[in-house]
Amino acid sequence: MNKRSTCAALAALLMGTAAFASSAFADNLTMWVRASGTNAAAHLVDLWNSTHSDKIELTTIPDTQMVTKLATGVQANEVPDLVSFDLIYMPDFMKAGFLEDLTAELKADPNFASVAKAYVDIATYQGKLYGAGFTPDVSILVWNKDLFKQAGLDPDKPPRTIAEIHEDAKKIRALGPDIYGFYFSGACPGCNIFTTSPMMVAAGSKILPANGNDDALTGDGVKQVLEQFKEMWNEGLIPKNAQADSGANFASVFKSGKIGIQGTGGFLLAELKHDVPNMNFGVTFLPGAKEGQASSFVGGDVVAIPKGSKHLAIAKAFIAWELTDEAQLEGLAKNNILPSRPALADNKYFATDPRVVVTAKAIGVGYVPWVYHFADMVNSDSSPWINMLQRAIFDGDVDGAITEARQKMKDIASE
Amino acid sequence: MRAQRSRQLQGWFFIGPALLFVAVFVLVPLAQLVFTSLTDRSLLGGGRFIGVDNYLRIWRDASFWRALTFTAKYTIVLTPILMGLGYALALLTFDNTPLKRLTRTIVFVPVIIGLSSSSLLWYWLLDEQVGLFNKLLVDLHVLKEPIVWFVSADLAFWAVVISITWKVVGFGLVLFVSGIQSINSDIIEAAIMDGAGYWSRVRLIIVPLTRRILLLTTLVSAIGSMLAFDQFYIMTSGAPRGQTFTAVYWIYQNSFVSFKLGYSSALSVVLTLVILVLAALQIALTVRSEAA
Repeated sequence: MNKRSTCAALAALLMGTAAFASSAFADNLTMWVRASGTNAAAHLVDLWNSTHSDKIELTTIPDTQMVTKLATGVQANEVPDLVSFDLIYMPDFMKAGFLEDLTAELKADPNFASVAKAYVDIATYQGKLYGAGFTPDVSILVWNKDLFKQAGLDPDKPPRTIAEIHEDAKKIRALGPDIYGFYFSGACPGCNIFTTSPMMVAAGSKILPANGNDDALTGDGVKQVLEQFKEMWNEGLIPKNAQADSGANFASVFKSGKIGIQGTGGFLLAELKHDVPNMNFGVTFLPGAKEGQASSFVGGDVVAIPKGSKHLAIAKAFIAWELTDEAQLEGLAKNNILPSRPALADNKYFATDPRVVVTAKAIGVGYVPWVYHFADMVNSDSSPWINMLQRAIFDGDVDGAITEARQKMKDIASE
Repeated sequence: MRAQRSRQLQGWFFIGPALLFVAVFVLVPLAQLVFTSLTDRSLLGGGRFIGVDNYLRIWRDASFWRALTFTAKYTIVLTPILMGLGYALALLTFDNTPLKRLTRTIVFVPVIIGLSSSSLLWYWLLDEQVGLFNKLLVDLHVLKEPIVWFVSADLAFWAVVISITWKVVGFGLVLFVSGIQSINSDIIEAAIMDGAGYWSRVRLIIVPLTRRILLLTTLVSAIGSMLAFDQFYIMTSGAPRGQTFTAVYWIYQNSFVSFKLGYSSALSVVLTLVILVLAALQIALTVRSEAA
């Protein structure tokens, strides 16, 4: 008995020592994530921490401070081991030399081959890869099936072209003085590059110039979309406050149940299901000018390793891990977050709601512009992009607005 | 001679920490700002010396001059409202009765709320669909139907002026009350004995004896308005079409949206000089009027 107890005690001691040794050699990594990506990133990091001895500590940085914080961090050699940020800053960061080259690791990774093309494109600079898709979001079109039914439209048949959006919006507007056919945030540059530009792209246009020699706003799609929006505005199919909405109402208006159709982001699905569980709504791709045309804007965050990371090997291991089925399904899909590999859209967690599957598949048809100065051309409150939309839709000068924006975008791209 | 030198050393010893503080936290950053303004440095790093190119570019930057003009208009409109209303409230409430103390407290409460919070609060109060301010104006028959405040530059301007008046007027009130209360009561009583009415006492005694505090408060308020940023960033986002950009907002855009650190440093230097000149002018005019 005594011998057995002694053996058990020795075994426990050995196991304890092994555990201590393991934790003693385990590393603690730091990761910065922008505020709007924190929820999704936390699910992944929690899963990693529960299955790995090396732990990651997540620090949330306000969205508007991420660029400044990372830029000053890299220059002062005070960087985290990993960073998750708005994918649109990838070209600027890669060019500035802020990020570690991950080409060898990612090209050798079989999971990376099935990552959405948009994420691969945005993370490529001069043939090298500097990051991977992390916590995706994508733009979609939502429609209120109850209002469609009341207006005599087929609730299961979403608009397939921009012209059909206009036609359906007219019928929905006729339902009552406070019911509107369509909504968009008219003073929000970011919301519109996310939801309006894909309609233009689907209709064959290119929006932003890659450099000073490249053309901006090419093709007929830009004009076709602006014309339809202008007419819907003039016909009163869009609420008046849309003109001044700088994004504050982007997510909340559709929840009121008084809007027929709206371009939005995949994030809205979970909010709608939580906040207005009885709302009967559908999800489809953002359409173009002709039936069969569709696109989306692939947004969300990429994950990369800043130059100066003190745990380079483990940080690379984390990026490889976050692309695995385990991380994509158990870390993201299980928590109603889209995977960055479109092939995983049909999974057990999304099976109960086909709308989520449609959203996840939108990543596969989506685009993301690879440009420097994106913020200057689009996100700035005085950008040529938002000025064009406002001048065309609210002032009615579509041709003048496009010509002016085209030149200004080219000027910015030349800098 | 030795005693004089000792006193001098003692003086330097006393002002040394303050001088060091100013040098480290004001002069060095200011010199760095001026140096950066002579480069084309980006927020993402790099940059080379380009002389006065940034300053020449400011000369041609119509957006900056429009923002500066808008800021000046905001200052010129807001400052008299804040000073006039603050002083009027101070005249009404400077006695220490319980009701007047309570009134002063209520008017002062918004001052302790953060500017960002109050701007967000007013953004929603002025909302066309759910805003209480619109509802109040409609119920009072001032408006026929709710209006979208941030759809035009003029309406957005007044929306911000209303919100800032509510937020800041209590600051002037407290300073003015302390100024009025510091007037020797013998002077007021003597004036009453001599038959001076209320307005005569205000015009001939209270205003002249609180002129210094009026100058100081006006100066602080005007400089604050020239540096306005948060309220426009949150309430108007510069919309519509950049017409409500203030000078600081334009500097922010160039620094953190366009990453042009060198150029935005030059803009900051110009704005600092403009404010310095205006403040010096204001002080000089007041000193001259006092001397006269």
